[in-house]
Amino acid sequence: MSRPLPKPTAWSRPYWEAAAQRRLVIQHCRGCQSLIMYPKRFCPVCLGDDLDWREAGGRGEVYTVTVQMAGPPSGFADRLPYVLAVVRLEEGVQLMTNLVGANAEQARCGDAVVVDFEDAGGVALPVFRLAEAAS
Amino acid sequence: MRKATAAAVGVGEVPSGRFPQRSEIEAAVLACREAIRDAGLSPREIDVVMPTGALASRHFNVDLVFSRLCEELGMLRSAHMNVQVMAGGGSSSSMLAVAEGLVASGQARTVLCVHSDAVGSLPRQTGVDLFATTGVSEEWEAPYGHNMNAVGALIAARYMHETGTTDAEMAAVCVSMRKWAQLNPNAMFRQPLTVDEVLQSKMVATPMRAKHCNVLADGASAFVVAPSAEARAMTRTPVYVRGHASLVTHYSLSQDVDLAKLGFEVAGRQAYAQAGLGPEQIQIAELYDAYPVFPLIALDGLKLCRGRRAGEFVAAGETSPGGALPMTTNGGMLSQGHTGAGGGVAVLVEAFRQLMGKAGERQVSDLVNAVETASGGTWMDSHVTVLSREF
Repeated sequence: MSRPLPKPTAWSRPYWEAAAQRRLVIQHCRGCQSLIMYPKRFCPVCLGDDLDWREAGGRGEVYTVTVQMAGPPSGFADRLPYVLAVVRLEEGVQLMTNLVGANAEQARCGDAVVVDFEDAGGVALPVFRLAEAAS
Repeated sequence: MRKATAAAVGVGEVPSGRFPQRSEIEAAVLACREAIRDAGLSPREIDVVMPTGALASRHFNVDLVFSRLCEELGMLRSAHMNVQVMAGGGSSSSMLAVAEGLVASGQARTVLCVHSDAVGSLPRQTGVDLFATTGVSEEWEAPYGHNMNAVGALIAARYMHETGTTDAEMAAVCVSMRKWAQLNPNAMFRQPLTVDEVLQSKMVATPMRAKHCNVLADGASAFVVAPSAEARAMTRTPVYVRGHASLVTHYSLSQDVDLAKLGFEVAGRQAYAQAGLGPEQIQIAELYDAYPVFPLIALDGLKLCRGRRAGEFVAAGETSPGGALPMTTNGGMLSQGHTGAGGGVAVLVEAFRQLMGKAGERQVSDLVNAVETASGGTWMDSHVTVLSREF
């Protein structure tokens, strides 16, 4: 079984299209100004349809992190060890991701990170690098 | 404070482990028969059959939805409703809450709640992949390699960061559970376990090592719920539902803004208020585990450690046999085995059994009140139930 890849929905497609251009975007409600993660069919705060997209700054911090050493799901055995993390963006929203690059396996809660993009079989996945290692 | 409207009047269970020769239906009917007999009832006195979901076999799960248990248990043209209530690991508390509503409203006099599954007999990788899709977002999380051990690890890492809990204290949770499991003939793992053995086991997903992680098991357990006013006429040992509260905190793990607490503090406060009881009146805590961080989060949220930090409290032996607050006395999923949605049902059945005085060698003496917790998926919800021998 190969690595599972995202199947975009009508309302998430712009997120993945932006990622393919190495841009991280956040869905935004023009009605109530909420930032929405993950993208939704309509705004979960005011239920309105008037949505657009905001460019994310691409910076955030590690909310929590684990280094997967064994027992991965199918499609990930050849990636061991890999780093799973929840990143809280400066804009306040959170997302699941992989930490990659120098010292990723030493990452701790609270560490500053910056976005990068990984080509995973035709889909660009937002991933993050430790900010110190990236600068 | 509210009046208890429902009580558990009977329990049943089969041993957990790997039983490839024992089908899910066999395990289910054996657990149901024991619960019906324990309640002093006959099958045709059961009004509602309420199975939770099974994960290993789609066909068996559909059988549960479509009244197979009513046919196997001799309830045709006597049972009024067969309805599945599935909330993953939170199914225990969810079934109890729905059953409570049915008996309180007079819709039913008796509800038989049951779980059976055989996830322990699945090939190992099939089990990993199955649980990597239970509450894990296919679009947003699965592409990064998210999986169930990582859930236990990500929440543990945040909890340890915020509280200063150590690796040895995490291991002490597993040891406490194992000491209870050694007294439980239905447990999958009964050999002694030490903190050093946990800390020397293979790293799986930092900070979780192999012996911090549950093992999938086959199993079945059941309980019967009746109106509190009629419970005493059915059994000498009814267990009254004094309070239940719950809170859904996320679907995708990454969308929870407080992984170190989840919803247990909020739900606990509400459940205590309903019961008219506080943590100082709780003698036993049957806390949902699957990974060691979760009983610690619940101990903190429910204020059960007499002002101490949960990890320190457990490491001092306070939750082990002979300690001040016996905890998860069936051994939890860490030692009795993770049977799927039934892992929580087994913990709830153990809470009933302890208060009924039917826990055998591990019976805790002088019990009046217990608190029980449950959670499903990637700990999407936090359930807290307060149970009592007193009406």
